[in-house]
Amino acid sequence: MVRFLVGEAFRDLRRAGRVAVSAIVLIMLSLGAVGTFLLLSGNLGKAVAAWRDRLRVVVYLKQEPSTAAASALVRKVEGVPGVGAVRYVSRAEALTALKQTLGKDASAADSLTGNPLPASLEVTPSAEGATPEGARQLVERLSAMPEAEEVAGGVEWVDKLARLQRLVTILGLGFGAVLGVAAILTVTTATTLVLHARRYETEIMRLVGAPELTIRLPLLLQGMVQGMLGAALALVGLAVGFSFAAPKLEPLMTVTLGLSRIDFLPVTQMVAIAAAGTVLGALGGLLARGRREA
Amino acid sequence: MIALDRVSKVFSVGPVKVPALTDVSFRVVKGEFVVLHGRSGAGKTTLLKLLYRAEVPSEGEVEVLGEPLAKLNRRGVASLRQNIGVVFQDSKLLPGRTVYENIAFVLRVLGTARGEITARTFDALRAVGLHSRARAYPAQLSQGEGQRAALARAIVRRPSLLIADEPTGNLDDEMGGEILQVIRDIHSGGTTVVFATHQARLARGLRRRVLVLEGGRLVKDEG
Repeated sequence: MVRFLVGEAFRDLRRAGRVAVSAIVLIMLSLGAVGTFLLLSGNLGKAVAAWRDRLRVVVYLKQEPSTAAASALVRKVEGVPGVGAVRYVSRAEALTALKQTLGKDASAADSLTGNPLPASLEVTPSAEGATPEGARQLVERLSAMPEAEEVAGGVEWVDKLARLQRLVTILGLGFGAVLGVAAILTVTTATTLVLHARRYETEIMRLVGAPELTIRLPLLLQGMVQGMLGAALALVGLAVGFSFAAPKLEPLMTVTLGLSRIDFLPVTQMVAIAAAGTVLGALGGLLARGRREA
Repeated sequence: MIALDRVSKVFSVGPVKVPALTDVSFRVVKGEFVVLHGRSGAGKTTLLKLLYRAEVPSEGEVEVLGEPLAKLNRRGVASLRQNIGVVFQDSKLLPGRTVYENIAFVLRVLGTARGEITARTFDALRAVGLHSRARAYPAQLSQGEGQRAALARAIVRRPSLLIADEPTGNLDDEMGGEILQVIRDIHSGGTTVVFATHQARLARGLRRRVLVLEGGRLVKDEG
């Protein structure tokens, strides 16, 4: 019976001809769009995560504390919600760091009269404090400390990057949804044509008492086959495109986003795309309605 | 086997009501051969469609194979039809399949085991004298051969009831005679037959019980 149903499904697919091909292409385009945006979103997400790991909030102090007072201050700040780790940077250490940063121009710092740099606390936010909202609250808490002169190191641009990632995801899902609806309608049209082409078979099947499932299942299967083919083509297209584009884009991504390499879609997302294609095709097959026989 | 009790059927064409059958009652016992005779438009096809639940009556009750059809759900209708063979004036063979495939198709959609399909298909083809044409496509058959193939398809499930709706209507006398002989053979095997025809000479010549329909009413029950 399974062999019969699958055989009928492929016979139906051949009958649908060009419309079936259009449906497969549309499913490929819709899932290709979703896959492309998922790819972008995934790599942007990785960049955001990396930058969040490197995120530091610097609390510039009004006065340089004594060694004992600095240790006490570090312990106090470690107790502030949203703080992961704290490092005290004395004025002398700050000046040394500045000279290291200036490199061959370090002699410029020697011309300064005294050390103008303040002592500071370098705060690494915890996971909770690294979120846009968490970081804002952390900066507010640290600014409220009487020892703090100024708090620097906002998360605005990381926040912007996170927003861009969300926008890319939403755009991908939006494009994918529009193309997905078009794909469902095309599969429905293909299946309706199949229903018309197989109306005599359907009439005979109903006449001899075939179960409704036997009549409908080949239609559902041929829709699913269209969906699976579309998804497979989309994944192959994405893989080929990725293999060409990734080596060219990686240097740019390293400079702009700090990503050492761009990753392809994870297996779970590839499986999800294949499943989405199958569901799109099945929906098209289910929605088709032919002339109802007695 | 079959019981119709005060059955009427009215078709609605927009606001217009068209009566196809009016107050028809009769019974057919198991193993009987009944001829349904009437002119075109007398209601023969509508009556036959009521028997395999392709139509439902507007009034009255229809019982077939011991089942009151009004109570049947979709699955019940499918189950009923598995015990009924139907042939029409045109053979309704599937053009893209050979004679063998047309007949085996019925068994395949009903989930019959593969080994059994071949044996039963050739049994049915032998019963109608068409086993040598198993590989032919419908377009390669004469009209008589086409009807014999349709008969083979109707009996391949070994149904208890055979409904024949003008199966000789498109055939000349010789071919019609061949089809009638095949149907007689099927009947002699114990199958109940309801045979509809508009040809008065044929109805009388069969020497069977004849139900005569006129304008949707059963006006004679002879035999």
